[in-house]
Amino acid sequence: MVNIIVCIKQVFDPEAPASAYKIDAEAKRVILKGIPPVLSPFDENALEAALRIKDAHDSKVTVLSVGRNLSKAVLMKSLAVGADELLLLEDGAFEEMDSYATAFTLASAIGKLGGYDLILTGREAADTNAGTVGSGIAEILGIPSITIVRKVELDDGKVIAERVVSDGYEVIETPLPSLITVSNELGELRYATVKELVASRNKPIMTWNAQELGVEPPQVRQARLLSLFIPQKENRCEIVGGETAEEMGANLALKLRAAQIL
Amino acid sequence: MSDGIKLDTRLYNFTTRCVRCAECTFGYKDAEFELFCPIYKKFNFFTYSLGGMAQLARALHEGRIDLTESVSEILYKCTSCGACAEVCAEVDFRDMMELQHELRARCVEAGQVPFTHMAVIESLKKDDNVMQKPKAERGKWAEGLGVKDITKEKAEVYYHAGCKYCFDEELWPAARSAVNLLRRAGIDLGIAGKDETCCGGHAFELGYQGEFIKYAENNMEMLKTAGIKTLVTSCADGYYAFKVLYDMLGKKGDLEVLHITEYLARLIKEGRLKPTKSVAMTATYHDPCHLGRKVEPWIRQEGKLKAGEIYQPPRDLLNSIPGLKFIEMRRIKENAWCCGAGGGVIDAYSDFALWTAGERIEEAKSIGAEAIVTACPWCKRNLNDAVKESNGGLKIYDIVELVEQAL
Repeated sequence: MVNIIVCIKQVFDPEAPASAYKIDAEAKRVILKGIPPVLSPFDENALEAALRIKDAHDSKVTVLSVGRNLSKAVLMKSLAVGADELLLLEDGAFEEMDSYATAFTLASAIGKLGGYDLILTGREAADTNAGTVGSGIAEILGIPSITIVRKVELDDGKVIAERVVSDGYEVIETPLPSLITVSNELGELRYATVKELVASRNKPIMTWNAQELGVEPPQVRQARLLSLFIPQKENRCEIVGGETAEEMGANLALKLRAAQIL
Repeated sequence: MSDGIKLDTRLYNFTTRCVRCAECTFGYKDAEFELFCPIYKKFNFFTYSLGGMAQLARALHEGRIDLTESVSEILYKCTSCGACAEVCAEVDFRDMMELQHELRARCVEAGQVPFTHMAVIESLKKDDNVMQKPKAERGKWAEGLGVKDITKEKAEVYYHAGCKYCFDEELWPAARSAVNLLRRAGIDLGIAGKDETCCGGHAFELGYQGEFIKYAENNMEMLKTAGIKTLVTSCADGYYAFKVLYDMLGKKGDLEVLHITEYLARLIKEGRLKPTKSVAMTATYHDPCHLGRKVEPWIRQEGKLKAGEIYQPPRDLLNSIPGLKFIEMRRIKENAWCCGAGGGVIDAYSDFALWTAGERIEEAKSIGAEAIVTACPWCKRNLNDAVKESNGGLKIYDIVELVEQAL
């Protein structure tokens, strides 16, 4: 049996309209009203990758999430779509951790779970977009990792992954156990029906606090938030004139050349 | 477990004003149908009432309880019909609705929402509808009507069908009738067909205010691009969303929003439509909450007390149909008993929704009605399902279908 662990972050819905966001600059906090927490979309892609492997091989998929005030209702979607169990690392000490502390905590839990073959994460979280936790876990566990992957296949104890690069993709092979960070090109997470959501209530959910995990996350933050603000964007519109369409086109080309775009 | 809920001072003060008189559970005093809060009548415990919800909100604010799954379940079992606030001497309707909106928004932020609502919102985000149906099927209800598409042609009036009419095939005839009647009266009408999207009102009522804002912005942008000044809809929820919620958000602008019953009553009065054929039946009318109580408070805030509700136009329509004997139930207008579908209850607690509709059906039967006529697709669907559940005995009609039959 292939033992797969998928790390999923709970984030506020990144698809919420910009006008629903407000910033408390003093508290360095984002204020959101009526915006639900969701599974980070890239992590959903990672879960879909795990489920595709499960479709083809005898596998067990464990979903792992860390934080404070995690919503079971939201994270149980992962069970509804086909994951076998959910492990929540929930503690006041796990609030607002930076990438290093998150990677450290997740790696500790994965080490404690043991017996893993493949670890999957999203390429980056939809809120911070840092993209370092996945590689961090691999570094701490001392296993190989492949980042920004669009296709994952298992073959005789090896993993073959297609890694996205700017002009195409690379095919990389690595032995198990290994870690892969998955990109959106892999495809959207399958849909959970209401029936599957209700049935997921019978699947196991474990919760460990810091004491049960047996480690405290690093107290010294490797990253500090200096300021939080919504960037001001200014749009200027200029109508390029001309008597005929050709003249307008020529005038536009001149403007673009003057702006050093052409 | 969550960090609790902090209300603003005004809403917190509102929660402290409840003296637990339980008046919010009683409305129209009648031997058989005295209660008019569905959630209280069903669960028979004070927590399931306006007063009870206020106490819950106060306890959440004061940190005495956490926003757990059980608390969330109580909040989401309310049909959000607003009957309670009609009788409470202590609160303004607007405060009551605002408290509920606030609590539900916090439930959403904490991820403490019914599973079924999460599925509804997922469908909305993916397919722009709350019916969990593919987006591509949205325009099917209007196939063969030959009506203008406002995304391609100019039209004076826009007909918004709404998710329920677009995807519930049994309801298509009512939406098609509405289009036929308006065109017959000479209205230059357009629809958006497959490009129509949800109004967002359902998302708002479930607490997903962010999703609501997205749809409000998208819809107003589409209407602006099409140069639409007047919107008419057969969907009571849609009417409430465009007329009240968009206005609260500051997005409505000078868009004229009409419910189909208002528009048809106006056209009959002007003599542009003349019902002449007999539709022989004894029928009663069920007031949808979204055409009554829920439309009032916003108008009330503007100092126009009870000027926004649509109580008379549907009654005028029924009285204009030859051969139809219109009789009233006991709980009507601002005291109407909810059909049970509102506030997302039909999605998450369908048994309770059907029970509530069953109570309404019994009330209609008790006055000798052969049919219940309504003007909301959600009410019609829920009442119809409850009739089927109780092995018939009564017919449920959309008011527009009857008007078309009479022409």
